[in-house]
Amino acid sequence: MSLFDKFSELVAARAGLGQQKVAPVATPIENVFSASEGQINGQRIILAGTNNYLGLTFNPDVLQAAHEALDQFGSGTTGSRMANGSYHAHQMLERELAEAWGWASAMVFSTGYQANLASISALAGKDDYLLLDSDSHASIYDGAKLGNAQTLVFKHNDPENLDRRLNRLGEDAKRALIVVEGLYSMLGDQPPLEEFIEIKRKHGAWLLLDEAHSFGVFGEHGLGVAEDRTCLDGIDFVVGTFSKSLAGIGGFCVSPHAELEMLRLAARPYIFTASPSPSVIAATRAALRQVVNGQALRESLWRNIHQLYDALNAMGYRLGSDQPGPVAAIILPDRESALAHWNGLLGAGVYANLMIPPATPKGLNLLRISLSAAHTPEQIEQMINAFGRLRAAA
Amino acid sequence: MTSNQARILEAMGEALKAALPELENVDYDAALTGDIGLDSVQIMDLMMEIEDRLDISIPIELLAETHTLNELAERLVPLVNPK
Repeated sequence: MSLFDKFSELVAARAGLGQQKVAPVATPIENVFSASEGQINGQRIILAGTNNYLGLTFNPDVLQAAHEALDQFGSGTTGSRMANGSYHAHQMLERELAEAWGWASAMVFSTGYQANLASISALAGKDDYLLLDSDSHASIYDGAKLGNAQTLVFKHNDPENLDRRLNRLGEDAKRALIVVEGLYSMLGDQPPLEEFIEIKRKHGAWLLLDEAHSFGVFGEHGLGVAEDRTCLDGIDFVVGTFSKSLAGIGGFCVSPHAELEMLRLAARPYIFTASPSPSVIAATRAALRQVVNGQALRESLWRNIHQLYDALNAMGYRLGSDQPGPVAAIILPDRESALAHWNGLLGAGVYANLMIPPATPKGLNLLRISLSAAHTPEQIEQMINAFGRLRAAA
Repeated sequence: MTSNQARILEAMGEALKAALPELENVDYDAALTGDIGLDSVQIMDLMMEIEDRLDISIPIELLAETHTLNELAERLVPLVNPK
């Protein structure tokens, strides 16, 4: 009997992938040359599984801001926002995020994971309710676990199913926080947001929208699906991350409710951790300017999205979503074919993400491509050709 | 067995058929994850089916302390009003 016995199932699942030339899980990336190219197992590779939607990781303004902050303010804050970790730049970034939405308040967190953990656990306390979409990200479920609210789950993207659960709560629905995502990262599908907002209003509930994968990609200013569908006025809280379109690490919550500021006194994942390093904050501020004014970047990204989606559809691949988006999830019949596709793509110079149960919804085996504005038409063509050869060989 | 317990077991049987049609002759004393081999997503699907059949809300916190279907049935009794 050992403390480690409980991990045996996970170890067996990992071993079930067999001995591959390159590990498909936690793949070692030996070098990164640009937002779209790196090196794996000695081979130059197109990076098509890095969530780097706007390709800002090597943007000169972002890098310069980070360099200057590193030299001026040092490598870390070495403390919590509640103690010595609130620099002027942290506060400025919060102000700039709030201004981007035209809302009252914004808070910055050290990771995107912590942004959900902090916002959800603090907003929904004892005697409150959380209503989570069943396909929610782990950070949302973990936020629920950290808090003291009663957590109910409704069927993925099913407004009627949510409505039924709120009906059962009666008057208590006014103390319910609904959590949905702007773009679900496994299948790349989007929520029926307008219908969720209608139901939220009908019951007097609250709505938190996680735009981790949709921020930067959708909307005139890149604010996400709520901006794109002109329904920002139906949202109470938007949570996002710095580690995708903003090309760094960290997270945020932004809200039209000025009372969000109270979370600074109550959200444990905000209080009991060191604040983001000055270079990260400076880089994020520069990246945020690029996102908000990033119409040209989004044009490039969407050109790439349509090029790949059109080609995959034409080849007869089954995709996780009918609506094209920055995540293209190719559904494969079993783990073996998903693994064969992953290895085949890598052999053709393309790194994608292998996604298998239990990390995936409905036990699906997926190959996930995340597209970037930094991908050139030639790189997208190389991906398409690799899929074409795999399809022909199947 | 009370009428409530009977209702719960009937609803669980229907929910199993709807959420996990591939399962046959399920042992209600078998561990949901270990013996039956359900993952968290499948358990969640099953819960949602049971909720709608009994018209109750089952907090997911209740699942952390539930290992078998019979245990679940017991824990649902206080949530179900007699009809």
